[in-house]
Amino acid sequence: MLGAGGVGVFGVLASRLYYLQVVKAEDYLTLSENNRFNYNIVVPERGRILDRYGEGLAVNRQDYRAVIIPERVPDLDATLLKIQDVIKLDDRTIERIKNDVRTTAKFIPVLLKGNLDWPVFSALNIRAHNLPGVVLEVGQARSYPNQGIFTHTLGYVGRANSADIDKDEDPLLLQPTFKIGKTGVEQAADQSLRGEAGQLKVEVNAVGRIVRAWPDPKDDAKAGKDVWLTIDAPLQRFSAEQFGEDSGGIAVMDVMTGELRTLLSMPSYDGNLFVSGLTQDDMNRLNNDEKRPQYNKVISGGYSPASTFKMAVMLAALESKLIDPFRKVVCVGKLRLGNRNFHCWKRRGHGPQNMAEALKHSCDSYFYEIAQVIGIERIAEIARQLGLGQTYNIGIAGEKSGIVPDPAWKQGKLGSGWRMGDTLNASIGQGFVLATPLQLAVMTSRIANGSLAVSPNLIAGQTLETPPPMTIGSNNLEFVRQAMWSVVNEPGGTAYAKSDLGLDGVKMAAKTGTAQVRGISASERRSGVRKNAELPWKLRDHSIFVAYAPFDKPRFAVGCVVEHSGSGAGRAAEVTRSVLAEALKRDGMAPVATITEPPL
Amino acid sequence: MISLFGDSGYDNRSAKGKLFELNWLLPALVMLTGIVGVIMIYAATDGVWSHGAMQHLIRIIICGFAMVVIAMVDIRLWYGLAYPAYVGALLLLIAVELVGVNVNGSQRWVDLGVMRLQPSEIMKPAIVLALARYYHDLPDWRVSRVSGLLGALIIILLPMGLILRQPDLGTTALLGATGIAVVFMAGVNWRVISLAGLASIVAIPLFFRFGLKEYQRARIWTFLDPSRDPAGASYHITQSKIALGSGGVSGKGFMKGTQRQGEYVPENRTDFIFTVIGEEFGLIGSLLTIALYMTIIALCYWLAWQCKNAFSKLLILGLTTTFTLYIFINLAMVMGLAPVVGVPLPLISYGGTVILAVMSGFGLILSAHLHRKIDLPRSD
Repeated sequence: MLGAGGVGVFGVLASRLYYLQVVKAEDYLTLSENNRFNYNIVVPERGRILDRYGEGLAVNRQDYRAVIIPERVPDLDATLLKIQDVIKLDDRTIERIKNDVRTTAKFIPVLLKGNLDWPVFSALNIRAHNLPGVVLEVGQARSYPNQGIFTHTLGYVGRANSADIDKDEDPLLLQPTFKIGKTGVEQAADQSLRGEAGQLKVEVNAVGRIVRAWPDPKDDAKAGKDVWLTIDAPLQRFSAEQFGEDSGGIAVMDVMTGELRTLLSMPSYDGNLFVSGLTQDDMNRLNNDEKRPQYNKVISGGYSPASTFKMAVMLAALESKLIDPFRKVVCVGKLRLGNRNFHCWKRRGHGPQNMAEALKHSCDSYFYEIAQVIGIERIAEIARQLGLGQTYNIGIAGEKSGIVPDPAWKQGKLGSGWRMGDTLNASIGQGFVLATPLQLAVMTSRIANGSLAVSPNLIAGQTLETPPPMTIGSNNLEFVRQAMWSVVNEPGGTAYAKSDLGLDGVKMAAKTGTAQVRGISASERRSGVRKNAELPWKLRDHSIFVAYAPFDKPRFAVGCVVEHSGSGAGRAAEVTRSVLAEALKRDGMAPVATITEPPL
Repeated sequence: MISLFGDSGYDNRSAKGKLFELNWLLPALVMLTGIVGVIMIYAATDGVWSHGAMQHLIRIIICGFAMVVIAMVDIRLWYGLAYPAYVGALLLLIAVELVGVNVNGSQRWVDLGVMRLQPSEIMKPAIVLALARYYHDLPDWRVSRVSGLLGALIIILLPMGLILRQPDLGTTALLGATGIAVVFMAGVNWRVISLAGLASIVAIPLFFRFGLKEYQRARIWTFLDPSRDPAGASYHITQSKIALGSGGVSGKGFMKGTQRQGEYVPENRTDFIFTVIGEEFGLIGSLLTIALYMTIIALCYWLAWQCKNAFSKLLILGLTTTFTLYIFINLAMVMGLAPVVGVPLPLISYGGTVILAVMSGFGLILSAHLHRKIDLPRSD
């Protein structure tokens, strides 16, 4: 009987073994393979962003980092505590880690800390065997040389947030070590920069450490494609130097192709801060700076174009044939409309002015006078043809359309009817009119090339179509160009003092603009308008300047705003002149002092 | 006067003659199983000879000698020592309670300086000795009477209570089962056994509620419903089944177990060593191992059958039952048929005291068989 019991007992065991090792063997083999093998997602190398000559503006550097695999960590709190012996994690980081562990799948590695220096990394390596689930890896991190001079254009990368993950199925987004473009070109060209996730079959042990790997070429990650910009990096650096501490934006554009050689907003900020995780201090500093470093002024900043808008008014007058450009208007320093005085910037008046003289001297009274005849609709129509009041899809987010006002716009926006006073304000680029520095460059390009409605572009290598022709007569454009020439090249022109490009015989054509940012009361006018230097920075006029060169064979156009720095003939003219000269030099108009090898 | 190694009024064989008459098949099989243990520990420790395999080999050799020495000792001496051994083991258990070493949250070891002794292991042969003697001495008519049962019950319950306090659920259950088996084999009638069965049905839930520690309850719940805790207590069982199942019929090959290499099965040098056999040698290796055990057990039953007196018979049957239960509980646990209770696989699992206890037990079995013809009078 005992024997029978014994056989029965072991019969149970044997049949169980049969069940496990024969019937279910396949399943368990799979499970053991799953235990053993992980298909790790391999994050592809992100494509670089290069300037037109191949200089790296956004590149990748080696990043030593520690990640944890939640399912292999027996006790998260204990592990985090233990790891603090080597790396300090602040409360925000710990909270972020715990949140990541809570919200992502248990097998996906969560970033503990990136950007570790070598001593810390090796110290962690030594302790790793005591920290199950903590894995050390060498990855890549985005890096932006140039101290932020290109940040507004390039943007930066960051962790995908839940909104990103909702609208993008790419499994890469779930990898905490993966970063997507958040702004700028990084965001706009993210799909092609990102590349394709790879797979790597690895054998892991119970605590998640890789024992072996089987790289399979067909599963390799596909590196992202490099994106080339039309930007000329040395020129942009040069432009930033010209700005110095000043605030504003400048766009340098090829008048024929629309390629942007420089697209700069100042001051800027270092995009690397956002990659490594912004500290509260940095955040406060950026947010509290009255020069608004984060604001991409060159494409988002709407400024009154002031007198640079007068070219549009001129063209509208010539196209309408309502105004004889040689008929003179007498400027007495102000024009009375109803019970309101409209002042010319020159208190005592310019005296009799024809159209070309009015532009050269930037006489406001002349434009008040002719605008009443032409009417706002014609002016607005020409302004739009010149590229104002619209965006161009240059390839990055944040472009503002500015405003080209007309009665319909005012009715829709403000619900009130158009008044002649609005036309007068618009005629000197004040009032409702707003334009970005980029738009000013576009306007100038279109005037300069004489026929084509060229649009700006930033990403190189796109197929460009011939821009549509403008309906504006080329003889009228020629007339305006001559007038712009006299602004800088004839004595009495508002920017005559700033005319010398320093390039032998190469002349530019330009227009100044001084945008008021405050109202000037009648009493202040009586007692004398306060000088900019006496005003707080925020109330000083914006200095605006547009130009192109060479005059006889236009190559580049510039739109430049230097915020709160006074007259357009001042800072903006200085910056523009230097930048334009440098652009021409770099384009082969004159020997360039230093030929920079693109750093790789 | 009883001479230890023969040549007395009762037993006139010489020591050499006794050695010749010894059933050598049993020690051979036991040593063979021990060697299997050495090989599997070697594999479980990733081929590091000094991480257990060497110690295991030394232990089975030393304990092998001890086994033969114990076998040579006259059964009457063991009979005489039955109660003192039991009391000694009981005292050691109390010592654990007072000065024991705490490992993994249970207090099971007494540190003797040279080695750590696990008195609960010593109690296993001791309780069989005590029960065998108790029933040897007990007149047949009292076996099924309350008075007769009471004595056996005290012998069984005292050590069970002490071991449960350590706490060591597996050994407690094993002792209880062994005791009941001996009582049963002593010839207690079926009515009493049925009553005991009914009583235990009532007692088990109460015991579960009040007699167990939280982690022990958790283990049993997990066993009953593995999905309750996929990464915690059932991790053992799940990984252990994966190791066995993935071995298939022929196994992954010696030293090639991936579950083992990845350290997925904890304790695979000790309680879960069968997973290494199953993974690396498959169904064939597993069944051969079980067959080896069954041969040993069958041989022991045959030895018991040859014995004349009650003490020898019960001693062999009781010890064999303990051995069988060890194997069964361990294998059932590893295969996911029983909760994880921490019972080693005798002779194969790494662990000193277990080997000492098990091989001493075989020594006693051999002794009982060697002296089967000696008349052993009842002492009262």
